[in-house]
Amino acid sequence: MPYELIAILMFSTMMLMLFTGQRVFAAIGFVAVIAAILLWGERGGYDIGFSAIIKVMRWYPLLTLPMFVFMGYVLSESKIADDLYRMFHVWTGGMPGGLAMGTIGLMVLISAMNGLSVAGMAIGATIALPELLKRNYDKLMVTGVIQAGSSLGILVPPSVVLVLYAMIARQPVGQLWLAGAIPGLMMAALFIVYIAIRCRLNPKLGPTLSLEERDQITRAEKMRLLRAGLLPVGIFAVMMVPFVNGWTSLVESSAVGAIAAFLAAVAKRRMTWAVFETSVRQTLGITCMFMWIITAALAFGAVFDGLGAVRAIDDLFTDKLGLNPWVILILMQLSFILMGTFLDDTAMLVIVAPLYVPLVGALGFDLVWYGVLYTITCQIAYMTPPFGYNLFLMRAMAPPEIKLGDIYRSIIPFVFIMILALALVMIFPQIALWLPAQVYGL
Amino acid sequence: MRVLRAYVAVVDRCNWAIGRVVMFGLFALMGILLWSSISKTFFVPSLWTLEMAQFVMVAYFILGGPYAMQMGSNVRMDLIYGALSPRRKALMDVLTVGFLIFYLGVLLWGGIESTIYSFSFGGERSSSAWRPYLWPIKVTICIGVTLMLLQALSELAKDVLYLATGEPVRHEDEAPGSQALGEKDGGEKERGDAL
Amino acid sequence: APAIVRAQSPIRWRFQTYAGAALGEQVTKPIIDYINAASNGEMEVELYYADQIVPTGELFQALQRGTIDGVHSDDDSMASPTPLRVFGGYFPFATKHILDVPVLFNQYGLAEIWDEEYSKVGVKWLSAAGQDPCNFNTTKEITSVADLEGLRLYTFPTAGRFLSRFGVVPVNIPYEDAEVAVQTGELDGMAWSGITEDYTVGWADVTDYFLTNNISGAWIGSFFVNQERWAELPDHLKQLVMAAIEAGHTYRNQWYWGGEARLRATGDKLALRTVPAAEWAEVENAAKEFWNEIAQEGEVHERIVSIFREYNETINQAGPPYTF
Ligand code: NA
Ligand code: NA
Repeated sequence: MPYELIAILMFSTMMLMLFTGQRVFAAIGFVAVIAAILLWGERGGYDIGFSAIIKVMRWYPLLTLPMFVFMGYVLSESKIADDLYRMFHVWTGGMPGGLAMGTIGLMVLISAMNGLSVAGMAIGATIALPELLKRNYDKLMVTGVIQAGSSLGILVPPSVVLVLYAMIARQPVGQLWLAGAIPGLMMAALFIVYIAIRCRLNPKLGPTLSLEERDQITRAEKMRLLRAGLLPVGIFAVMMVPFVNGWTSLVESSAVGAIAAFLAAVAKRRMTWAVFETSVRQTLGITCMFMWIITAALAFGAVFDGLGAVRAIDDLFTDKLGLNPWVILILMQLSFILMGTFLDDTAMLVIVAPLYVPLVGALGFDLVWYGVLYTITCQIAYMTPPFGYNLFLMRAMAPPEIKLGDIYRSIIPFVFIMILALALVMIFPQIALWLPAQVYGL
Repeated sequence: MRVLRAYVAVVDRCNWAIGRVVMFGLFALMGILLWSSISKTFFVPSLWTLEMAQFVMVAYFILGGPYAMQMGSNVRMDLIYGALSPRRKALMDVLTVGFLIFYLGVLLWGGIESTIYSFSFGGERSSSAWRPYLWPIKVTICIGVTLMLLQALSELAKDVLYLATGEPVRHEDEAPGSQALGEKDGGEKERGDAL
Repeated sequence: APAIVRAQSPIRWRFQTYAGAALGEQVTKPIIDYINAASNGEMEVELYYADQIVPTGELFQALQRGTIDGVHSDDDSMASPTPLRVFGGYFPFATKHILDVPVLFNQYGLAEIWDEEYSKVGVKWLSAAGQDPCNFNTTKEITSVADLEGLRLYTFPTAGRFLSRFGVVPVNIPYEDAEVAVQTGELDGMAWSGITEDYTVGWADVTDYFLTNNISGAWIGSFFVNQERWAELPDHLKQLVMAAIEAGHTYRNQWYWGGEARLRATGDKLALRTVPAAEWAEVENAAKEFWNEIAQEGEVHERIVSIFREYNETINQAGPPYTF
């Protein structure tokens, strides 16, 4: 059987097994080891499966994962982000849809503290969402706001996804992080514009806070709440200043950030045993989920690689079809988005990225710029059914009145906004590349 | 049935206890990374910190894996699965848990081969200047994967029990709206805890 | 007739090299291309780069079991389970030039020792060759031995053991991750290669200085094959594989020899720094002690160290160009 056919067979079998609803890592891992055994004998099977654990062990940026997850849970469970939410609440509540716009602002600040989307998701779903629903905000819109807003965590620096991309594409992490900053803010601005337009057209979607409620808040109170903004700035500084100055490495910085968040909660007397226990337990749960999927996906990727699938696809695109580089790039992004609906970003990263990244480089595109495109695609993948982390997190955390169908429908407009952002960054690469060029003097 | 129940009780309790301890390994990891940055800033950087952190991380997610499975942390693609009734879900799981068991079995096999290797030729040592022996982490991985395998069998047993008796064994087995069940087998079963 | 030969299904090998794609293009791929082109369809060797199929640490086991059929690596970083482990790679100050390696193997008896030791652990050793020297490329300036103190460097295990005497903190990560690790602050640089490799793989883009002093004149890397797969190979293909490897050695010798000179002279990404020879002698003297310690580790160790001593005496007597 030709290798291309085996590759297609592997991929479709995996899809089919994912649809049975068995645990994702089991489906990916099973296909990987079965394929390895059929192709390379039973020794190949067990070697590939097990050595993926060793690969995971040696892939040092993964050490940041439990740190960022823990930090996210500490911030949400201890409710130290409450003040932050209230800050936006009183400052933006007067506008139609203002609370939803404020939530986007909240998500941007949280994104600057954390390298994943878990923190934003946890805070958004447990603090902002109930509050927004209580104020009669449209549930479809706000559910989408939180899912889309929290996905900024992987685009606004620091970003774990961009570090993993950096390792595969061998591009400078610093430049990639800076490249994500402006597109991240631009996307946040697009979300806000979208909310503003919808609420202008139909004010019932996002009612303003009542006059009485607004009058209750004194000017002094408003100013006092601004201080809440110091927390993310502080945590961002504690993590990033030593990192940028080379005093701490990336993984050390993530530990410092986690400890800083923990100490902030202790200082604010919010670190009860229950909060602590929940944060520690949930961190184990989420970390295990990620790590087992990565382990299985690395095994899958090794077999896929071993089939020469990478070369076959490169061949097909460049030699056989002889397509224009831009057409290839757009096709790749489309296929990425399509696969992103089914696969998670870690699986995409280890299975698909090694296939595409060299091709993008060979076509003469800037790989820092492509890192931003890649990350935006991951953001889309996070929210699109049937498979996405923000989707799962939302389902696990949302109040009962939010139904599965609501969650699915809520993301549609935001996916379109993200595709728009993707198109903008593609057409105007300077959106991504200007900031790193300024800082690094390129 | 009695045997199955006893098996579930023993395995779940055991993995629950291990997971509850292992979850605090997070702080070991944090401590190592913190020490790494302190020693680098004020003294000579340590030889062992990065590699030790990697060992702790692997032990953390491999040994904690079964408890995470009890908590329902391992995501599933539930486009179709999510819409099924608890009974059909159980049936589906009975049919597909074999994938999981097979995968874990192959992992364990590879783990054992690699562990045997790590004891031969005078003991395999890591390719770092610190040169730790590798058998402790490999043995840990083997133990963890074995526990995962036992947990996967326990999940199968729970589904079989549910299908045979109609009595919910886990929280997810209940029909929507039915009475919540106590912590029958020691594991924490709230779906809300899933993620 | 060729048609009949081609009708049989080709012998397929999975071959993994220690090098990443950019370097592998120069150091391993020419050999694989040669075999595939010259075997007239009788062999199809598929080349995989660093950690692609199995991580480097598990490489040797995978080769023994036949998950991988062939490997290009040094004994040290692939964690060879033989006493040769410490010598393959960069044994401090054992060589001065790239041609020292084939001379040591073919004229001073290392080839027999390698062949013998690998037969014991079930792997066929084919050939060894020299590569570039082990220089330092770093983000921090090195102008004296004291500057090594506290540097976190990506380096070979044995070289790392040796350098830790000067306060270097050797860090071991997958080859392909080293470049990003400099950017994430995990590393201050590398003690891994000559300047050709620094430019080829992109390390010159993330570090600023190149130290012209080295701790070894040439890397010792080998080609290995799974024993059964080698035994199955018809004689004419064995010859072909060996010829391809020799051709690859020749190409590589030139690539490195020319590259080291050209990039030191004209490269603009790394600023050259030098520790005065009198001071660097301190490092060389420490290597002599290190040799003594290693020689005491076993009988094979002793034999190899005595061969290194013998060879070094010879070239020292001969003088330049053998001693620079
Ligand atoms: Na972020
Ligand atoms: Na998705």
